[in-house]
Amino acid sequence: MSDPLGLIRSATSGASNPLAGGPRPAPGAPSFKDVLLKNIDEVNKLQQDATRAVEDLQAGRRNDVEGVMLATAKADTAFKALQAVRNRVMEAYDEIKQIRV
Amino acid sequence: MYGSLDISVSGLIAQRTRMQVIAANIANINTLEDAQGNYSPYLRRSVMFAPGDPAAKTQEGRELGVQVEQIKIEPEALTRRLMPGHPYADKDGYVMVPDINPVVEQLNAMEASRAYEANIAAAEAAKAMMSQALRLLA
Repeated sequence: MSDPLGLIRSATSGASNPLAGGPRPAPGAPSFKDVLLKNIDEVNKLQQDATRAVEDLQAGRRNDVEGVMLATAKADTAFKALQAVRNRVMEAYDEIKQIRV
Repeated sequence: MYGSLDISVSGLIAQRTRMQVIAANIANINTLEDAQGNYSPYLRRSVMFAPGDPAAKTQEGRELGVQVEQIKIEPEALTRRLMPGHPYADKDGYVMVPDINPVVEQLNAMEASRAYEANIAAAEAAKAMMSQALRLLA
């Protein structure tokens, strides 16, 4: 029985198997999951900053409308960017789902 | 990415502070006493700006924004006006009153309000650029 692609794993297949694992990030660089989660955290933080800024303005704790405007603009842009990335990822996933095995 | 927004907002806050000082000058044109009732005529205030806004959250805002360095009290902004019989008149009948010209203050107010609008326009342009860039993704 021949095994040209090495699909039948042997005990020593380890690093010599070209299909092992899948794409890996460069050593030392953060993985896509880490980057994605970190950015979601930042978007969440910006949203909370904006909400708190609006509450402070209404309660009288701060009186600069411009700062509140800046915080809400930042939160809005960050959320729209996250939405755009999510749409792209969903499109890519849909295309992959269509692949007939 | 938010650097230009930060810079514009620091400009907005600075121009609003300037407007407050101008309003104070106009309101105190005839103020001759201080809060305790002593003779201390109101001295015209002016705003000094400096580059860099330490309260900004981005590096560009901290370097290129604007901050109110100090609200300077001009020490010799008094003029003599002939008001004989006034309780604070000197022996010739002159009283030292604040040297504030309402026309000059109104022009400064117009300038501050135009600068405020210009900063708003810059902030809108920055926001429009960012949302157009997002359309590349979407």
